[in-house]
Amino acid sequence: MAPDSDAGQESQGSRTHPLTGLVQGTLWAGAAVAGLVGQLVSGDGWGELPIWLSLVAAVGGGLLIGVGFGFLTWYFTRYVIDGTELRISSGVLQKSSRRIPYERIQSVDVAEPFLARVLGLAELRIEMAGGKNARTSLRFVSLDDARRLRGILLARAQGREVTDDHHEQEELDVIAHVSPERVVIGTLLSLDFLAAVLGTIAAAVAAVWFGQVLAFLGGLVPLGTWVVQIVGRRVLQQWDFTLYRSATGFRIERGLLSRTSQSIPFARVQGVAIEEPYVWRRLGWQRLEVDVAGQAAHDGDDSSDISSTLLPIADPALAAAVLEEMVPGARADADDPVRVPRRSWPFAPIGWRYRWVTADGVAFVARSGWLTRTTDVVPHARTQSVELRQGPLQRRLGVATIEVHTPKGPVDADGPHLDAPRARELAFAQLEHARRARLPH
Amino acid sequence: MSDALFDPPGTTWTRVSPALTTVRRILLVPPLVVVAIALVGAALLWADGPWPVVLLALAVVALGAAAWTWRWAARNTASWGYAEQEDDLLVTGGVLFRRLVAVPYGRMQFVDVQAGPVDRRFGIATVTLHTASTETAADIPGLPAEEARRLRNRLTELGESHGAGL
Repeated sequence: MAPDSDAGQESQGSRTHPLTGLVQGTLWAGAAVAGLVGQLVSGDGWGELPIWLSLVAAVGGGLLIGVGFGFLTWYFTRYVIDGTELRISSGVLQKSSRRIPYERIQSVDVAEPFLARVLGLAELRIEMAGGKNARTSLRFVSLDDARRLRGILLARAQGREVTDDHHEQEELDVIAHVSPERVVIGTLLSLDFLAAVLGTIAAAVAAVWFGQVLAFLGGLVPLGTWVVQIVGRRVLQQWDFTLYRSATGFRIERGLLSRTSQSIPFARVQGVAIEEPYVWRRLGWQRLEVDVAGQAAHDGDDSSDISSTLLPIADPALAAAVLEEMVPGARADADDPVRVPRRSWPFAPIGWRYRWVTADGVAFVARSGWLTRTTDVVPHARTQSVELRQGPLQRRLGVATIEVHTPKGPVDADGPHLDAPRARELAFAQLEHARRARLPH
Repeated sequence: MSDALFDPPGTTWTRVSPALTTVRRILLVPPLVVVAIALVGAALLWADGPWPVVLLALAVVALGAAAWTWRWAARNTASWGYAEQEDDLLVTGGVLFRRLVAVPYGRMQFVDVQAGPVDRRFGIATVTLHTASTETAADIPGLPAEEARRLRNRLTELGESHGAGL
């Protein structure tokens, strides 16, 4: 946050919820305990203290200091909504103030991390266009306040005037609800989960068989972590997943412990990927992922909160309908695609049979994968740049790779190892498609 | 055939400054030569057992790498080129791994010009084009400083007039 001239002068405005300090404090206590447990596991405790005493010290100290700091932070944080912008000022010693002009707001999400959710609190996440620090969060306010603020901010971002206490309720249609059972079954049948479980079992059996438990623990721990991560990402985060349609885009609500309400404006969708793991294909299930402009820019900090998954499990008809809504006229299939020639087999001995690309009037479509089949759809208007390349082995085989570049995210529209002259043709045709799509309609 | 594959349609590549070869040689070859000399020196001091042979072999490898780099610099420089088309900027480069990137002016977010101390001494600079995609990675190294400035201004201007948002 840039130091601002009016930092510190903000004595009016609203405060966040008073329980904010408690949540923040508990989080810090949790971190202190986690640190201590890590130290105990690695063998060095806190000096001569018995374990229970150091645990109590970590919990108590963490809570006390955390709640104290949390309270101070809360006490000095205020936000103001005025005619042109949202201003958040904070900081105990180092004052800072951030202005969020309404016209720069891209989306507003409401997140309820587990602890906050228990207390009925929520965090407001505001995404602005471009640049670093494009995301601001206001934590924590009551859930009702969060929803109300989101309504106001979104309306003003679109240039509609609403008064504070008389805001219109947004109209939402439910497009799809994915039941928890389906999410669980889908996860159990997904390839990476099966691989992780099989690996864990194999490691456990080997450990018992050879009687070298400690040595195999090294293999067991990462595999177990992997399973937990998959369950966390696919089950806990996607629990009770509901996709809504609002006036400007989609709205996703999901989560078992922490709930997230995330909006995806149609205008910011840069590409769509349809994923079909092997077992899912038999059942006619698909997963829909999207590239959303700006959202991938903050992976690292809390990438788990922002998900690129638009539909964790859907049947093809629903997936096609949702795709149609985002990219009107696009099809995730092709009548006469450009297939990869047989001579490119050294690059993908099995996969070459399943690869193709095509460009219709609306989008560039690339299909690949035999275990997990992925179809990437990039609307021509979203083509950022086009690349054609060839390495030494490719030159010998007379093939070349074409890539349609999209912003960072799950969508990767590549046409690897196509017949070289064909790839060149496709690349320049893509430029022409993109040029036409950029023209104002 | 592989040359025709990367030709720009309708025009020819504008090639980059030969000074790029010199700059790269200055930056890359001396460290390798220094390593080779140090290895030879160590071999002379350590005239015991199998070590001198190993060290001398390594010195030969380092010298070989230096010679290869010397040649590579010239070939690589000759491979870079760019072409300003009506709607897109084309950039090509690479000898073994050839690459052609086409960036529509309307998709350009910003343009960087960079020049290190040695680059400046020889009056060249690198122009980098950025779009919303990190994959774009369109660098044009070894542009004469004047041309780099012109290109940046021209691209910024074109980006504004062709701009279509994200």
